[in-house]
Amino acid sequence: MFKPLTLQSYLGVLALVAVALLLPLFVTDSYVLHLLILSIIFAMFASAWNLVTGFAGLKTFGHHAFFGIGAYASALIGINLGLSPWLTIWIAALIAALAGLFIGTPILRIRSMPHVAIVTLAFAEIVRITISNLKGITRGELGLWGIPAFEGFSLPLVGEVVFNQSVKVWYYYLALFLLLISMGLVALMMRSKVGLAVVAMRDGEDAAESLGINLARYKLLVFGVSAFLVGLAGGFYAHYVGILTPMAAVGPDLIILVIAMVLVGGLGTLSGPIVGAFVLTFLGESLRVLDDYRLLIYGGLIILSIMFMPRGLATIGTLFRRRPADVRAD
Amino acid sequence: MSIFIEQIINGIIIGSMYALIGSGIALIYGTMRVLNLAHGEFYMLGGYIVFFLVVTYAVPAYLAIPIAILAIFLLGLLVQRLTIAYLLPREEWAFATIAATLGLSIFLQNLALLLFGEQFQSIPYYLSGVVEIAGLRLPQQRLLMLVVAIVTIAIMTFVLAKTRFGWALRATSQDKDAAAVVGIPAARIYTLTFGIAAALGCVAAAMLAPIYAVNPWMGLPVLFKGFVVVILGGLGSFPGAIVGGILLGIVEAVGVQVTSSEWRDVIAFGLMILVIWVRPWGLFGKPQ
Repeated sequence: MFKPLTLQSYLGVLALVAVALLLPLFVTDSYVLHLLILSIIFAMFASAWNLVTGFAGLKTFGHHAFFGIGAYASALIGINLGLSPWLTIWIAALIAALAGLFIGTPILRIRSMPHVAIVTLAFAEIVRITISNLKGITRGELGLWGIPAFEGFSLPLVGEVVFNQSVKVWYYYLALFLLLISMGLVALMMRSKVGLAVVAMRDGEDAAESLGINLARYKLLVFGVSAFLVGLAGGFYAHYVGILTPMAAVGPDLIILVIAMVLVGGLGTLSGPIVGAFVLTFLGESLRVLDDYRLLIYGGLIILSIMFMPRGLATIGTLFRRRPADVRAD
Repeated sequence: MSIFIEQIINGIIIGSMYALIGSGIALIYGTMRVLNLAHGEFYMLGGYIVFFLVVTYAVPAYLAIPIAILAIFLLGLLVQRLTIAYLLPREEWAFATIAATLGLSIFLQNLALLLFGEQFQSIPYYLSGVVEIAGLRLPQQRLLMLVVAIVTIAIMTFVLAKTRFGWALRATSQDKDAAAVVGIPAARIYTLTFGIAAALGCVAAAMLAPIYAVNPWMGLPVLFKGFVVVILGGLGSFPGAIVGGILLGIVEAVGVQVTSSEWRDVIAFGLMILVIWVRPWGLFGKPQ
């Protein structure tokens, strides 16, 4: 990851972005667009989880809390204060980041991985139960609806930009824009001194600390940024789907899906979570006939990736490269 | 007032079940440092085996429960051999085992959903009478739970303290390499410990199933309770898990009196996060 970027890698990223931008010219089916948008939301979620778990080595299992906080905060602020989603998704992301710092603080003091896993899981359960119990505000399991949609506007050259369920193209572009921001942030962070410090912290806390890395500060930073990005994804999700239930927005199924995506894609790689998000979202939909088997398959995939493919799909390509020395470069 | 005392006693009884769950998690963590997220699924499958034996095949409960415990013990051995044993030698084993058991948990839960359906199944009480002690009315079923828990914990304490297997287990958990030097096969101890822990979960399932319904999702809440218990008692400590379980039962019983039952889990998790904040090594453990 710390190799100097070559012209090839810049071109590769540019080509991918270009393909993503041109995709709606060829994909007009509203259902396929919906799947692409879902994949992008999950890609944001998965890369943010990967930032904490794969890069910083803080194994959290409660990131769906931030997704739910982002989704509900953005929706509730929009409904109750009448603010525009363009603003509320950022406020919601900040609230999620604050929650991340709040739960990040006790985690700082614990080095034992199981404790971190348990605390984060429990925190997410508290958030879910609280959201479903506060029926007066969130309508509980009945679902929160009437969430405002993104307002349209008109752009020179492009024309009208509208957001509604029948024209999904602009949702796609907005999601893509948010994903690029998130990925840019994660990539910049990981390639900076912060990234070096974070990976050093993951690979040997004591060694990193002895070199003057302030563990507490970096852990909080990573946790806050990650929670912010997950909250942003949650906020967008709320205004995209238009209805929230505690099980759909903060349910444990969410984090399981994200873990499966990251493990299948490749833990601790930049591209892995995105690959995993797209592969599993489309795989999940192609198995729609086998709907009852979906979670069964995800569970199986988690076990199989851990046992036989510890570095995920994203690294399979490196097996075919000529210089095997590159494989462990990140 | 007597209702309050009854609630506390009920809390202790439910707490003794939490203690059984928690002690399984603690045993596994204490010996092989693995956090078993699939522990709730052994509980769930145990519940189903008891349900099928007792309700579908009309096997008497005193036969059905030991059969179920044995089956879950064997399943635990199998799971450990097929997954954990392979992952332990890895460099990143700590995360690998957590993730693998998470996958296993989802897998088993949904397998149960496919095989047994989503309806909630109920098992009749094993004992239906009510006992009156000093003006307190206690269902015999609840007393039976307490007795079973005490007997199980006594057996486990004896096994850990007095048998060669117990010595080997404790030696392995203190220092795996030193234990191997004196000829203790760590791998076999790990497998057996996993089986025993799963069986402890099954004991709790057999006793709780008549009170709560049997369903594919019953494992998850119990797993969370088990986590709270082991954090309270100090992760990896068997006696800590027993005390932690009973304490959690009492706190929940009192907490539900003060607030309402839908906040029960929030109380439990809040208590746990508080403990981690103040004493990460648990209420009864020693700082590392």
